[in-house]
Amino acid sequence: MMPMKGIQSPDKVSSFFKSQWKVLTVVTVTGILYNFGLLVGPIFEGKLAQSLLDLYRGQSLFSDILVLAALYVLSTLVVQFARYLKRLYVRRFANNINRSMKHILYANLIHKSKVALDSENIGSLMTKAISDVDQCAEGMRKFTTEVFDTGIAFLCYAGLLVVCDWKLALASLLISCLSYLIAEKLKGIVEKTGRAFKESSGRLNSVVLDRVSNAGLYRIYGSEKAVDEICETNLSDYEKRAVKAEVLISAMPPLYKIISMLSVIAIVFFCGRNVANGVWTIATFTIFLSSYAKLSTKASKAAKLFNSVQKASVSWKRIKPFMRQPETDESLASVACKDLKVKDLGYKTENGTIIFEGLSFTAKPGSIIGITGPVASGKSTLGKVFLCERPYVGSAAFGGTELSSMKQHDLYSCIGYLGHDTELLSDSIEENILLGSDVALDDYLKAVCFDHEISQMPEGIQTRIGSGGVRLSGGQQQRVALARTLVHKKPVLVLDDPFSALDKTTEMAVFENLRAMCSDSIILLISHRLTLFPQMDNVIWMEDGKASLSDHESLMASNAAYKNLYEIQEGENK
Amino acid sequence: MKRNPVFKTIFQSMASHLILSIAVALCVIGAIVSALLPPLVLERIVDTLASGGNIQLVLAISYFAFIALTGLLESARETLLTALGQKITHALRSSMLAKLSRLSSHTLTQEDPGVTASRFVNDVDTVENLFTSGIISMIADLCRIISIFVILFVKNRGLALVLVLLVPGVFAMTRAFQKRMLKAQIQNRVAVGRISNHIPETIRTIRTIHTLGTESHMRAKYDKAIQEGYDAVEKNNFYDSIFSPIIVMMNVVMVAIVYVLASTGNASINTFFGMGVGTAVAVVTYISEIFSPLQSIGMEIQTIQSAVAGVHRIAEFMDLPERWPCDACLKADDSAPSVSVTDLAFAYEDDKRVLDGLSFEVHANEHLTLCGRTGCGKSTTFKLLLGQYKPLAGSVRIHGQDAYKIPDSEKRRLFGYVEQNFSSVPGTVADQIRLFDATISDEMVMAAAKTVGLHETIMGMEKGYDTMCQSSLFSQGQWQLLSIARAIAAQPEIMLLDEITANLDAQTEKTVLRALKSASENRTVISISHRLYETEGGRTLNLN
Repeated sequence: MMPMKGIQSPDKVSSFFKSQWKVLTVVTVTGILYNFGLLVGPIFEGKLAQSLLDLYRGQSLFSDILVLAALYVLSTLVVQFARYLKRLYVRRFANNINRSMKHILYANLIHKSKVALDSENIGSLMTKAISDVDQCAEGMRKFTTEVFDTGIAFLCYAGLLVVCDWKLALASLLISCLSYLIAEKLKGIVEKTGRAFKESSGRLNSVVLDRVSNAGLYRIYGSEKAVDEICETNLSDYEKRAVKAEVLISAMPPLYKIISMLSVIAIVFFCGRNVANGVWTIATFTIFLSSYAKLSTKASKAAKLFNSVQKASVSWKRIKPFMRQPETDESLASVACKDLKVKDLGYKTENGTIIFEGLSFTAKPGSIIGITGPVASGKSTLGKVFLCERPYVGSAAFGGTELSSMKQHDLYSCIGYLGHDTELLSDSIEENILLGSDVALDDYLKAVCFDHEISQMPEGIQTRIGSGGVRLSGGQQQRVALARTLVHKKPVLVLDDPFSALDKTTEMAVFENLRAMCSDSIILLISHRLTLFPQMDNVIWMEDGKASLSDHESLMASNAAYKNLYEIQEGENK
Repeated sequence: MKRNPVFKTIFQSMASHLILSIAVALCVIGAIVSALLPPLVLERIVDTLASGGNIQLVLAISYFAFIALTGLLESARETLLTALGQKITHALRSSMLAKLSRLSSHTLTQEDPGVTASRFVNDVDTVENLFTSGIISMIADLCRIISIFVILFVKNRGLALVLVLLVPGVFAMTRAFQKRMLKAQIQNRVAVGRISNHIPETIRTIRTIHTLGTESHMRAKYDKAIQEGYDAVEKNNFYDSIFSPIIVMMNVVMVAIVYVLASTGNASINTFFGMGVGTAVAVVTYISEIFSPLQSIGMEIQTIQSAVAGVHRIAEFMDLPERWPCDACLKADDSAPSVSVTDLAFAYEDDKRVLDGLSFEVHANEHLTLCGRTGCGKSTTFKLLLGQYKPLAGSVRIHGQDAYKIPDSEKRRLFGYVEQNFSSVPGTVADQIRLFDATISDEMVMAAAKTVGLHETIMGMEKGYDTMCQSSLFSQGQWQLLSIARAIAAQPEIMLLDEITANLDAQTEKTVLRALKSASENRTVISISHRLYETEGGRTLNLN
């Protein structure tokens, strides 16, 4: 599959058309063939009726009719085959474009930064963009179809009518245009009522969802009746608007057809005179009549074309910002662990509040540093600083290179991160841990003490864990995420409270394994639980915007808050 | 067999809009009959011309008039059908609303709100389709086919017989195509579901994707999903593209056969197939009209099939267990204790008792704290006090009345229930406190907000109490204050507090506790393991 093939500048609609030139050529050839071929039907039907009449008058032979009928069937076969190809290819065209657009959209999305996605609603815009792509491709298909089916067919029929009797043809075409104009005039009203209906339907949906979700609340407060009355008002409003909108859509087309069929009176009357006067044959009469019927059907559909094109252009405007030539994916390199040097590191929010400052330390490969402090002391912020999502103050360098100066994929080759939010996918356990890596899982599952529990699950590592991992317990989610981090091991691992939902025994065991597996990495372990802290090489204590490096023994001796925290927790554990 | 509650509602609402229903029926029949007329006029026109006659203006006008009449009747049919369909959906939704209020509290907690809401919205819509674009359209299409057959039978018996043989084949082919298309569409919908899920998932896990460098893996997964969708659409496209050309071909072959048979000089064939030119033209028109209702019937079968599933889901909802009726004649006994629980036993399911032999009394202005480990029945006791469940054994009485018999309308004056989490409702700030209860005046709303210390904050907003609520309007702590204001707005006698400061930081917790304290003044309070009342020396009851 090459969804991007031939698309030079994805932010231009024309380049999508250009990339599909082969498919469009087929559409053009078969489309022209089919639409000219449409005349075959009325012409042959007219001739057949004439021949039958002639036969009864003894002016033609049975064989003439047989030949005519055979020709009719054969030519229709050719025309309908062309039609089949045209339909198939115009749909393929839309399908190709749909696939390309979705591909480009995602390629753009995946390189957006966390900060960009969090801000300005981009996330929800992107989520909606999928249906916009569908609408866009559908609009492009309809446009392409209608160019032939409405445009060329209209010209063909009109041409035929003009050849037969130009005065009558012009007169009847004018009436046909009248019905189109009325449809065009009403379009605004149709849109307005349609919008009002959609809005009312949206209101009803949210009222109903609230009524159902808060049913318990309303019952306890005795408000069920009052809320039901609100729902009932919405229901009545919905009914009124639904009727209005749907009537305009489904009841109008028959009326348009009536208007454009007005000219039938003139056609039947004057054409009949032509036949009676011997100017026309019966064939011409039936050709004229059935051509006109087909033309008026086409004309009543023209309004639809403009509608779908307009809808598509609205959708295109929404997705255009995401239709850029995407960056290429660069895979992360395997990097040997070097020293992590931090000097006067700090972090300020956008409005200037200092979260913490003045942190300096050097970590050697293989060392484990615990980070702790009271609630809201900036522990998690310190962890995220290493991801360089927002600028930090001071310096943090890996192997002598400042983190903030690294390119994204170089940075992430050095720094691994596991946050509070485990960010699991609604997929299998295996997929969540491996994410495309090709390693045997067993050791990793053992390392995070999850092997036993998984062997109890009927589907083992193929167990699907639901959106965000809801089907697992909090502790299981954390261990899946930890296994994922170990599979994608980095020289520096920042782990933010990875054991908070584990019991103490499991926490100890997992920590031992982690230490053994990452003996060549630097681990920064953020935690509010201090059970493991006596085993850390160093401890960073954060409080009141200050952060400093020390170790467990000296903190126990000199820092009352730390000592207090440790002892309370140890007491709880006993 | 028990009558399906959905059909019952449909018939009831049709009966109550009898005139509308009859008008729909008349329009349906009228449109079918009038659609048969134009070809007959055409026949006369062509025959007149063939015999060298001149066409009267009346004939031309009547040709148009019948076409116009058909159009008008079709238009009226659509209008009335839409109106009737909407009346029916309205009635269905109203009956579901009424059912919702009758559901037992246990059922209410068991049902997934999203699923129930979807029954309300989507399934009812499919029922409307079942009715309008399903059954009624199908009857109309069947009648159209039959009436065309009758005319053809009169005009040309042989042709009618040929068609009778052909129609089942055409119909079988149509259904085969539609089934395959539906299958492809379902495959596509599954793929689209996966695609639309993949994007928010990517956004949610973007940090992990970047830090682990799994961009190309995620893209490969996504591309696989869009390729699956592409393949399903391609399959659908094939059937979609070839179907209508095949139908046109059949139509043309039939027309050719009509002419050929009509022109064979053979006398025995002619008694069967012979006809004049005018009849030939008319018959050709009828033939082309028989294919479109055939196609429609296929679609209608599909609509009916998918709607039946919707009807089934709604019927399921309508058959859910209901709660017991409350007793409007209850009289409070002021001499009885505010709350008295005697030998209370309760189980959600038959086997596992959550509460067994619990007894306690709470008198006016007394403070009681329930404590115990998770799952020991603290919250269940609250639910029983609130009358949401019936005791298995023993009794729960509020002022001597059985709690489960107290009418909903009196609950708010009796209980102020503060839950762990605030559930905001759509509407203004005042609506949050009032909860749409019209008997709570503006003054009562303001008094409640003042008690919890939110009045100034609310007055500081642009529209004060009429500000529309959004999640960003208040901080987490302020939402908690709002839930206290909601609980005390109707000046209830008894406060029920459910461990509400579970997720608050120390500063907010202080504010909330202060508000709770002033809300609890001069009231009976029962709370679940709350530090405030442990330290203030209220009574403690351990449920373990």
